[in-house]
Amino acid sequence: MSGSDKLTSTGANIVIEASGLVRKFGEIVAVDGIDLSVARGEVFGFLGPNGAGKSTTVRMLTTLLRPTGGSARIDGLDVVEFAPAVRRIIGVALQDASIDPLMTGNELMRLQAVLHGIPRSEAKRRCPELLARVGLTGAADRRVATYSGGMRRRLDLAISLVHEPSILFLDEPSAGLDPTSRLALWEEVRRLNRELGTTVFLTTQYLEEADELAARIAIIDHGCLVREGSPEDLKATVGSPTLRVDIDPVFFEATRQVLTGFGPQRPAMEGRVAVGLEGGAARVTEVVRALDDAGISVSHLELDAPSLDDVFAEATGRRLEGAEE
Amino acid sequence: MTARTLGLGHAGSVVSAICGRGMRRIGARPTLIMPVLLMPLIFVISFTGAFGSLTRVEGYGTDNVFNWMAVYAALQGAVFAGVGGASATADDLENGFFDRLLLTPGSRVPILVGTVAYSALRSMIPTTGVLFVSALGGLSLAGGPLALLTVYVATCGMAAVFCLVGLTVVYRFRTMRSMILVQVFGFSSMFLSTGQVPIHFLNGWLHAVARVNPITNVLRFARQGFLGDITWSLTWPGLVALGGMGLVSGALSLRQLKRLAA
Repeated sequence: MSGSDKLTSTGANIVIEASGLVRKFGEIVAVDGIDLSVARGEVFGFLGPNGAGKSTTVRMLTTLLRPTGGSARIDGLDVVEFAPAVRRIIGVALQDASIDPLMTGNELMRLQAVLHGIPRSEAKRRCPELLARVGLTGAADRRVATYSGGMRRRLDLAISLVHEPSILFLDEPSAGLDPTSRLALWEEVRRLNRELGTTVFLTTQYLEEADELAARIAIIDHGCLVREGSPEDLKATVGSPTLRVDIDPVFFEATRQVLTGFGPQRPAMEGRVAVGLEGGAARVTEVVRALDDAGISVSHLELDAPSLDDVFAEATGRRLEGAEE
Repeated sequence: MTARTLGLGHAGSVVSAICGRGMRRIGARPTLIMPVLLMPLIFVISFTGAFGSLTRVEGYGTDNVFNWMAVYAALQGAVFAGVGGASATADDLENGFFDRLLLTPGSRVPILVGTVAYSALRSMIPTTGVLFVSALGGLSLAGGPLALLTVYVATCGMAAVFCLVGLTVVYRFRTMRSMILVQVFGFSSMFLSTGQVPIHFLNGWLHAVARVNPITNVLRFARQGFLGDITWSLTWPGLVALGGMGLVSGALSLRQLKRLAA
């Protein structure tokens, strides 16, 4: 099969392409006509809250689910028409580490090699190498049921790399991981991209993860793409930094009125008022003075540079779930 | 990566790997096979105890009730084994592992065939257990060692058929709970045959249903070597019944497998 010869505006070769992609489950529209393109060698972040349509999109792109409308191509191959060929060139680590707890790491690696038609001699070389790379050599003969969440994720990643895919789909790879395991996983993703040139399509609901790993991000909400671009460009669209003020609920309306004078109101969690502070940090003193003059008692005040959460909030009118945890 | 053509050799490897995985899971957790082994043993012990005096009724066909009940219990065990094989797929679907199997770049049919092969293989465990207990009860090999072969062929075939029935349901509903439907169907099919008594002992609708129930022919085929000589006239209808059930359930399960990604 030949690869795609489509190029992006910067001349890069497009390897993941969706056009008007739709998926309905009965009356529910999980993915509502999204268009996206990912260049070869790119780390692409697909950011959105739970239920936004991230996993459904990945399942369509990886041939696990048939689109209801639109089309998608992986390296120039239609995901419906050439599904087996698509599966040959992609690696997939799905949400919740889809691995059998009764098998050992070694057994799972060997099974994956068989599924991808890798000769036994080749599998014997690759499997231990991959297990070593993800730090699981010592646990390779242990049942997965005894693995920690982080070990399962790393094994899932190793399994998805057995056939040396050029495109890797990672669906919420660090969900439920402790900070150390998350950092280790990020490093491995960076290494794969840097050293092997692997294209990575990463779904996440963690802003930091998207910010750290992705060169380009698409934000999905209610099945629709609401923003797309590099993290820097997206943040730049927000403009001014966000000033967040925690107050007693009785002062909420008064605080909102005071702060409106300093910039546009932005979505915030309950018990908090947020505005895009025009003029930046230099005006914080002014804000404090105005609140004091209005007799408003402030319990906490913070000023943050524009974040992806601000981008999400600006696009959807609400904060991303868990963003401020 | 280099492009490879994944042909029959790959399909065979996948079948073997899926089947081997199932057997290794039994090794890892023996409780997976215990119900499949214990239920037919309980059946053969309880039924031979309850229906032992039937041998004194004229026309029962044997003077040792184990010669009649052993095959019935073994086939019940095979049904359990088949449904259990499909249940393993239900488990895989629920915990997400089945997605990993579906991501094979080759045909997905070997995944189904591997599961069926695993069910057939695991059915040999309860069959062996039932034959062993029945041997202690005086099971006679009137038809010689071929009698054992017919039992194993019949039980492997029944396990395959009920695995395919189970997979049809599992691929459709994608939950473990749906397997209750298959268990009820399996039990009913066995009870509505000549499992417990010869067909001329059955009256009314039970007689009519048992006569057309293909499992009756499978029972005749598997039981003949314990009641007398093995004959072609009892062999071919049993093999046709197994083949027919296999074809129908195979076609239905393949159809559902193809719709799984729809």
